[in-house]
Amino acid sequence: MSEDFLKRLGWFALFFLAQVVVLGRIHLFHYATPLLYVYFVAMFPRNHAKWAVLVWSFLLGLLIDIFTNTPGLAAASLTVIAAIQPYYLELYVPRDSAENLQPAMKTLGPLKFVYYILPLVLLYCVLFYSLEMFTFFNALYWLLCVAGSSVLTLALIFTIEVGRGR
Amino acid sequence: MKNLLEFLGRHYHWLIFVLLEAVSLALLFSYNSYQNSVWFSSANALAGHFYQWTSAVESYFSLTKVNEDLTLRNYYLERQVTQLRRLYAEATQEMDSKEQSGLDSLSRYQLIAAKVVSNELGKMDNLMTIDKGQADGVEVGMGVACGRGIVGVTYLVSDHYSVVIPVLNSHSSRISCAIRGYGYFGVLRWYGEDAAYAYVEDIPRHARFKRGDWVETNGYSSIFPPGVLVGQIVEVYNARDGLSYKLKVRLTTDFGNLRDVVVISDRSIAARMRVMQAARDSLKLNVRE
Repeated sequence: MSEDFLKRLGWFALFFLAQVVVLGRIHLFHYATPLLYVYFVAMFPRNHAKWAVLVWSFLLGLLIDIFTNTPGLAAASLTVIAAIQPYYLELYVPRDSAENLQPAMKTLGPLKFVYYILPLVLLYCVLFYSLEMFTFFNALYWLLCVAGSSVLTLALIFTIEVGRGR
Repeated sequence: MKNLLEFLGRHYHWLIFVLLEAVSLALLFSYNSYQNSVWFSSANALAGHFYQWTSAVESYFSLTKVNEDLTLRNYYLERQVTQLRRLYAEATQEMDSKEQSGLDSLSRYQLIAAKVVSNELGKMDNLMTIDKGQADGVEVGMGVACGRGIVGVTYLVSDHYSVVIPVLNSHSSRISCAIRGYGYFGVLRWYGEDAAYAYVEDIPRHARFKRGDWVETNGYSSIFPPGVLVGQIVEVYNARDGLSYKLKVRLTTDFGNLRDVVVISDRSIAARMRVMQAARDSLKLNVRE
């Protein structure tokens, strides 16, 4: 068991607990719920084994699903994010950067990090709520959910990033 | 064939992706047949234990509120018991209608739940601070009680805090009270030393009562409604002037362990006090004329 694995396991547990115990119970104005755990996927460094990213994400999604009674929902959405994350990250990595560069505000620069994380979170929220409302689709409610949750999630991620950057 | 294997070797993570997605979506869409997926929901033992544990922790955070509610509830019930007891006595014996209308008015009192933030026991003139003030509707001269009985009277009121003169104040605390069921009334005093005992003075010599009788407020003090518990008679002395009895009373309120109290607020008390004051003033004027 490498140090990297243990560290990731720690983050895994932390994101899972944070979501299940605290964040998942927030329903601001009945539609905005912070989905912070997508940050766990976004944090995978460059050139990390792609299958590992997929498996980690799937397990995190599944575990959260089990605890929030939404079997398959977070797992399906998070696995999609995990599949595109390695390719997507390449777009933002500076040419002469380290092989195992970890995406963060410090390594990418604040502006690039915003460009990197914003579409990722937005895509996750779109996937999550589209799958959730597969049966009864209410466009306005869906939009509010996506927008509200994205804003909350991003606010949390930036808070953490600024905190870690110091 | 070799090419295919090579291709798979290079892109096997896509295979994993498709597999995991298939599993997730299968779970998602078979959720309606709930019996099959119960293992993947919070109904499984692991999640159940986890949630049991978190809710056990969470319940501690609401204890303060629960305690507050209980104090208030307890106070209401205590008052109800006293009321019912008097109503019963009324039904079996006879009581005049004036007292009955007084009983009916009891339900109109407004209670403000408060917390004791500082408390003294060891001095001769103890004071107590509670965490409610003018902003919460507390005014000077309101009665303070707890679930078990009488506490004191508000003395100084700021926006969010108030100083209360508890029964345990030898100079300033004079609360009018009466012996339950007999109606003889006296003044509650305290002379230091033991915080568990106080004295009721000026009980008339012709009064009939016995040790173990209960003492409660009589409602004459215009601060407390009638029927708030004070204590139990443990000893009877003759007053020094020989004209009255002095009763030693075991206080029902445990001043050493006091946290949640209620401030009794009522507009009609204030109105009554104004009328009393007006009457006194007019008497003074008449005398002068």
